[in-house]
Parts: sequence; structure tokens; C-alpha cells
Amino acid sequence: MIEWSEQHLMIRDAVRRFVEAEIVPNLEELEHGDMPPYDLLRKLFATFGMDEMARSRFEREIAREKAGEAKAPKTSSSEEEELVPRGRVGAKGDAAAMTMIPIIELCRYCPGMVTAMGVSMGLTGGAVMSKGTLAQKERWGLDLLTLDKIGAWAITEPGSGSDAFGGMKSSARRKEGGGYILNGNKTFITNGPHADTIIFICKLEEEGVPMRERKILNFVLDRGMKGLVQSKAMRKMGLHSSPTGELFLSDVEVETDRLLGESEEQPSRAGAKETFSTERSGVAAMALGIVERCLELSVKYAKERVQFERPIGEFQLVQLKLAKMEVARTNIQNLVFRHIELVDCGRRPTLAESSAMKLYSAQAAMEVALEAVQIYGGNGYMSEYQVEQLCRDAKVLQIYAGTDEIQVSSIARDLLAG
Amino acid sequence: MKVMVCLKQVPHQDAKLDINSDGTWIQEDNIKFEINSYDTYALEEALRIKDADADTEVVVVSIGPDRVTQALRTALGMGADRAVHVNDAEAFGSDALCVAKVLAAVAKAESPDLIFTGLMTDDGNSSAVPPMLAELIDVPSATGVLHTEAANGSLKVERELEGGAIEVVELPKPCLASIQTGANQVRYASLKGIMQAKKKPIDVKTAADLGVSDVASKATIDKVYSPPKNATADILSGSTDEIVSGLMGKIKELGVL
Repeated sequence: MIEWSEQHLMIRDAVRRFVEAEIVPNLEELEHGDMPPYDLLRKLFATFGMDEMARSRFEREIAREKAGEAKAPKTSSSEEEELVPRGRVGAKGDAAAMTMIPIIELCRYCPGMVTAMGVSMGLTGGAVMSKGTLAQKERWGLDLLTLDKIGAWAITEPGSGSDAFGGMKSSARRKEGGGYILNGNKTFITNGPHADTIIFICKLEEEGVPMRERKILNFVLDRGMKGLVQSKAMRKMGLHSSPTGELFLSDVEVETDRLLGESEEQPSRAGAKETFSTERSGVAAMALGIVERCLELSVKYAKERVQFERPIGEFQLVQLKLAKMEVARTNIQNLVFRHIELVDCGRRPTLAESSAMKLYSAQAAMEVALEAVQIYGGNGYMSEYQVEQLCRDAKVLQIYAGTDEIQVSSIARDLLAG
Repeated sequence: MKVMVCLKQVPHQDAKLDINSDGTWIQEDNIKFEINSYDTYALEEALRIKDADADTEVVVVSIGPDRVTQALRTALGMGADRAVHVNDAEAFGSDALCVAKVLAAVAKAESPDLIFTGLMTDDGNSSAVPPMLAELIDVPSATGVLHTEAANGSLKVERELEGGAIEVVELPKPCLASIQTGANQVRYASLKGIMQAKKKPIDVKTAADLGVSDVASKATIDKVYSPPKNATADILSGSTDEIVSGLMGKIKELGVL
């Protein structure tokens, strides 16, 4: 894949029109007010039929599971194959592109909305659909995939960030006669203040088993359960449109039907790694949206801003910044294209591949956004100009979904294992 | 029921327009195009009829070069069933009557119950094609329509008149309505709709295929130019009272109030 197809561009234009008409007028309230992003995200889903598509996918999967069929990799029909022109991707690639394009378009203005959407639908809904029993999927899955309910995926704790499982203190204690008692504090939880459904990740209390070796369990909690407190939104540097909070669990009693998979033998550590891989690929699409917008704004400003009686774009130091931004944009776009192509070939990127993609894209987005602020000078430091917000937002790409340093170690471990 | 919707692809509203080298039209290379905004309301009005009656077929028609395919695909993505693309160098950019002749030939071949067009185009601004088309195929028409209501044998429309008055007219079918902007809330093409659009047919025809000849423009554009900038501006100075008094003097002098 070397360029977006005609259909991809149509999707891009339609989503861009929606973002400019529906989200941009609310940007001030989303970024600096108390407006949660969920109603606008639901409107986005309804407008483009994304909720309907999620519902159809869900129903197909449930029907297949009820029929006892294994999930077979979908192959393109001969009709679809005929419609794929040379050099274009097929149905699986198109599906990946359809996921990436709205992310890119939202991130041109409001990266926080992607975080809120991705955590609710991708992480929380994804966890239920990949680890849950049929009954659990039917109980929680569909509402999360359609954004009818908002989800939170709670792994980080005050004492455990990058070392998520090692330092984890949240616990599940077996109750006599079945069920569990959950305790623990979670922090930096996207959608935490508003979540209807929460995946609580914790360790099983096992006498004699060292903390680091204890089983990791995932429980599904509902808003309002006794002993569960969801904090108000925390103040943070950027991503203001994505509410982030803390969760406090104090002797929350649950039955086994809330244990994802209803078994203590779920391979949670490996499952989390798969989640990390998906999450990291999505960050590249976010970076592309931020970089595209920063470059667009910078080129416009470089042409309009006159100093020393000429547009600042005529100064070579400004030209160098613009040229480096374009190099970054091209590279990230190519990484996104490669990801779509990989999916189209039916191959999942390895953790090292998606880590490399995330590491480069996040760093490039931060550098581009900082340079955009520099080109704007004093104006760039003012929140009236959009580059200020994009610059604050870009920083999180180097921190969440695994810090830059964690990406480096994922890549290096893979290289050294060979 | 069959509804034919006429679309024109025009330069995107944000496109930077430069005059071409011989000064007879705009430079079309490297600019983005979109569906004429008036026509999007016409399409939406047709799609609403289809929403209410699944048996309705919506056929979109456009005259223009290869790039017009993109506008037609967008319309198909929004929900139109099929498209007719008149790709004919002579007919493209022709005068209003010749454009109406070509569209009339399509209408005769399609025999639609209703024809919806935009009230005018963002680039040409003539508003002439819709009534000409109606006359050529001998059907009644209404212009500046803000609301339509399709019944079995007729179409009831509300037309916008000067001063904000609304006129209600009932037209027997087949008939034509040119739709005003703001008549409805134009939908976005859904993701599924866009992916399905590539499977919907676009019938490409020339004027000759439609049995029409002599479609080259009878009018020629002598010159296209941007109005010269008026370099004179009076800057008023002095105290606030002096500026206000100077401004009042200017207003009286120009007789603008």
C-alpha cells in the first residue's frame, strides 16, 4: 500500500467534515470545560454506522460461538478479490484502514477523544470479547462495542506503572462458598470517573506464592457496586477531553460470574501483551493525526506571518523545521500503511514491531508539535492557537501504552532473543 | 418510485482559486472538488423518500470529466442506488441550455417520477438549468424548494419567496424541484455505505450515446478576472469626537444610510 484508496479518501473526507462540524465547535468545552466526550463519540458512531457495524460483528461472533464453531480467519470472497485493484489492499486491510482513519481525523483536533473511545471500546470491550465467556460477552460486550456503555480498563496503580504486574497490589481473595472479595487502588484510569463497566485487574491471594508469581485475574465491575468508588477527573497536562481518574475498591464482593472467563487459569499476562500490541499500533495513527495538523498549521503560519518584511517561511531555519516535519509525516504514514498491509496479509505485528512503530511515531509527534509551537513563537505558547494543545497532547504518546523506555526494551529483547 | 438527482462537481469551498493562463476560467489542476452544496440538499431530499419507501430507486446524474466519478461515488456512499456519468468533453462546462439538453436526454431514458436538482451551482450561480430541463422534457417544476412531500400521484412542495414568505405548490408527477440550501440536514456517507459504493454501478455515457448532438457551448467566456482591489482607504484620526464626527460626515457624503 503506497497511498490511501479512493474509498479511504471518501471516508477521510466524511469523517473530517463531521469533526469540523460537530467537534471543533465544542473544542473549548471539551478541552477547558467539563464536557465529557461520550455524547459526541456516540454521535460519531451513529452518523457513520459504526455502532451498527459493531452490532453486526458482535451478533456474528455470538452466533458462531453458539454454533460451537472456532473463529476462522476470514478470507476474502472471490467477488471482493476481483474488486481489489493492483497495489490496493483487500477487505481485511480496508477494515484496518476504517479503524485507523477516524483515529487520525479525531487526533487532528482532539486526541483525547480517541483515548476515551479506544479504552472503552478497544481495551475494555476487547477484553470482554477475547477473555469472557459467552454469557459475559452477552452481558457486557455489545454495550461496550457500541459505546452505549462506557468502559474503563484498570491496570495501573500508584506503585505499579511500567512494571504493571510486578508491583501490582490489588487483590482478589477467595470467599468461602465461592466468589471473591476485591481490594485495591487504581490510578490514571481513562474514563474512570464516568465508566459504567470496569475491568479490574488484580492478583489472586495465594498463601505461600510470592507476589510476583501470583495469578492475574480480570473482574468485570459495574458502576455503583458496593465498595467501589470512582474519583472525579484528575487534572493533567493534556488530553483534557479524556477524563482520567482513580478507582478505590474496598471489600467489593463479587461472584464467579464476574471473573472474566470464569476461570482462574486464564493466561492473563500473555493476553495483556496482545492488548499492548494492538494499543501500540493505534498510537501511530494518533501520532499521524497530530503531525498532519501541526504541519498544516505550521505551513499556513509560515506563509502568513511576516517578520523583517517577509514571510517567515522564507527563512531557512523555518524551512528546516517544515522539512523535518514533512519527513516525520511521511515516515509515520508509511508505518500506518505497512500496518494496514500486514493486517491485510493476515499477519499480526509482533510486540517488537508494534513497539518500534509506537516508539518512532510518539517521539516524532512530540518533536513535530514542539517545532510547531516554535514556529508560532509567542502565539504558539498561547492556548488560543491549536498547536499549544496538540503539543501538550502529544507528550502522552511517549508515556501511555508503554513509555518510550519500555518500547526500547521490548524491541531490544526481541533482537537479543534471536 | 424513481428519483433522479442531478449533481455537479464544483471546486471545494476552501480551494484557493487562481485564474488560468488564458484568463478564461479558473486553474483546475491540483484543487480539490466536492459536490455542489445545493445538490447535496437535493440528494438528501431524494434519500429521505427512499428511507420512507425502500422500493424507491435514487439515480444520480452528473456531467463532467473523470474526476466526477469521485462525486458520484460519494453520492452512492450516501445511499443512491446507481449513477449515470456523462463524460463528454463538449458537454462539460457547456452553457445552461446545452447542459439541460444533455440532462433531458438522461431523463428521457430514465423516465423518473421525480427530478431533484440544487437551486443553483456554487460555481456558475445561474439557476437556469433546472427550469430549462423541466421545459425540455415538458414536466412542471418548482424552484427554491425548502420542503417536499411525495404522494402517490403528486409532489407537494414549499417554495421560499422574497421576504421569507412560503408558497405551497402541488405538482403532478413526473415533475422537477430545485432544492434550496437548508431544506434538510444532509447526511454523511456511512462507512458501510462508502464500502458498498464501490460495488454500485456507474453508467458512463457520451452525449452521442444519449442521442444528443450539438452540445458545445454557444456562449464563450471572454474573460475571468478578480475585481481589482480598491486601494483607497481613509484613515480617520484625532480625538474620539473628531473620529465620530468625521465618520458621520463620510456616511452622509456617501449616502449609505
